[in-house]
Amino acid sequence: MSDEPRRVALADKTEFPRPSSDDNLNLWSRLRPEVGTQAVRNTGLMIVLGGLLLSLAITHPIFFSGTNIQVLATNMVMLGIACAGMTLLMISGNVDLSVGSMFALIAVATALLSFHMNGYLAFFLGIPMGAVLGLVNGLFVWRVKISPLIITLAFAGIYLGVAELINAGNYVPSLPASYAYFGQNYWFGVNIPIWILGVVALSTHLLLSRTTQGRHIYAVGGNREAAEITGIRVRRLVIGLFIRNGALIGLAAILTASRFDSASTQFGTNLALQAVTAVILGGVAFTGGEGSLFGVAIAVTLITVVQAALIQYNINSFYSDVTSGALLLVAVTLDQLTHDQRERYKTIRGLRELRAREQAQDQSATPGSANSVQSGNLPAR
Amino acid sequence: MVAAAGRGSPTEGAAVVECRNITKLFGGVQALANVSLTMKAGEVVCLVGDNGAGKTTLSKILIGQLQPEAGEISINGVDQSRLTPRRALELGITIVPQALALCENLNATQNVMLGNEAVSLRIGPFRFIDSRRNRTAGLEWLKEVIDLDRLDYKQPVRMLSGGQRQAIAIVRAMARGTTAIIFDEPTAALGVHQTEATLELVRKVAARNVAVMVISHTLPDVMAVADRIVALRHGEVIMDKPIGAINEDEVAIAMSLRTIR
Repeated sequence: MSDEPRRVALADKTEFPRPSSDDNLNLWSRLRPEVGTQAVRNTGLMIVLGGLLLSLAITHPIFFSGTNIQVLATNMVMLGIACAGMTLLMISGNVDLSVGSMFALIAVATALLSFHMNGYLAFFLGIPMGAVLGLVNGLFVWRVKISPLIITLAFAGIYLGVAELINAGNYVPSLPASYAYFGQNYWFGVNIPIWILGVVALSTHLLLSRTTQGRHIYAVGGNREAAEITGIRVRRLVIGLFIRNGALIGLAAILTASRFDSASTQFGTNLALQAVTAVILGGVAFTGGEGSLFGVAIAVTLITVVQAALIQYNINSFYSDVTSGALLLVAVTLDQLTHDQRERYKTIRGLRELRAREQAQDQSATPGSANSVQSGNLPAR
Repeated sequence: MVAAAGRGSPTEGAAVVECRNITKLFGGVQALANVSLTMKAGEVVCLVGDNGAGKTTLSKILIGQLQPEAGEISINGVDQSRLTPRRALELGITIVPQALALCENLNATQNVMLGNEAVSLRIGPFRFIDSRRNRTAGLEWLKEVIDLDRLDYKQPVRMLSGGQRQAIAIVRAMARGTTAIIFDEPTAALGVHQTEATLELVRKVAARNVAVMVISHTLPDVMAVADRIVALRHGEVIMDKPIGAINEDEVAIAMSLRTIR
């Protein structure tokens, strides 16, 4: 029916080839666009973190003792595990604001259960319990087509209310030793929650960066309709992410209750905001589609180290919230600025390309191979 | 320009998609009324009609996004009682949507292979992507259509030009659509040269023995690319003729709101 296979060049003047070595743009512009916002922000976070650690090393060398690092890492567990769930949700373009209430509910419920049944069983019940709460969130987000922001905000109120109702808002002290086992013991000299955080972080990173599910999470966050067209089961994926997030919150809740040997509805206060802050600071776009777990891990570390440093420097710990807020503000502002920079770079590149082609046309001593198509795309001068 | 040789002559391709008496209601509004349509392998059918004529509804039924109230669809001779989007994809039917076609945050090869990734290792439900093989396979497809030297396939596609993005969307459809590909307004957002190249690409897709449907509003494009023109009005087929048996005025009238006398 048709002629022999022929190459069709679909291109116009705003096309950007890979940079050539003779690029004489200034250094800043040359660094900017090839690396994404992500990499820039990660570098920025690492510089801030490195500077902070360096100043601590000079002024408070004791900060780097084995015990203190262990304490630091243990402090990171709650936020770290919560962020492992939240990162995936937010890359897919969703969010769960009920994580703090979920956290309180699961901590109190499993703590109460531990007095009536095997402590280990009560402990591990926290994970399926979280999965069920996550499923409820996910089902509502699926069925009621309103922003997950609003739906999970509603559930934040409901879960917290239930958590207060089941023990009349009271604190649950002195849990059985079996329940407290995982929060207070060591494997190979390292606190068990740290091992668990490591496993969660590693498996989440692999899931996100290496598997088809991870690729599809980015795709759904980037363009849901396009993802649907390619046969990705978007709803199933999103509900799965809510369930996974719930289960991880359950895990964080039982580990925390176990570590402090007690449970309280106060435990999860601010967890949702802290997690969202850390995830965005780590380079995940609130609209979805961008980010990595590596960036979030740096952000979580930074927030934890800032909190510890404030204590070391005897600064009122209220400033830690101010600091993480300020960091977030700086990060998103820088994002916006680099975005503008990127657009400018694209324009410069486009102009250069155009000029180069015009020159090639003027010389046109050698008509070349595919240049006939190329010249067809140039606007008349 | 697009080669006109051989177009309009009776196509000997097998009927791969057959719709019979499709009826679709939205609330009380009849979007499609007893629509019957056949798509043959290697043939380009242009679906024309005014806004609200039912073109998009029909295309959504064909790719399983909507279920008709009445009527049958058979694909490769097999009746499909309930066509879901996944089932349609499995049968090799896909669409190049008008807008929102690509995941802007992924690069060209990732977009082409999306939902169809090369897998190196399976652990339970988790499948690990073999990224090298995935990239090679994506480039294999892309090079059929785009000059790879001029495509920065490592960048997210939002950095690419409109023409290149459209080409990538078409390549993605080619990679999955072995039976039928529907193009929804493929030239709507493109300039003159890109339109030409895209129409040429549509012909090329058909030449691979794939049934092609092009939904269009643009008369010159329709005349340039179609083997057969089907016109819809108020959900009914008012014309279904091969290109050889039709003149431009007839199509223009069929596409507009006036009635043919």
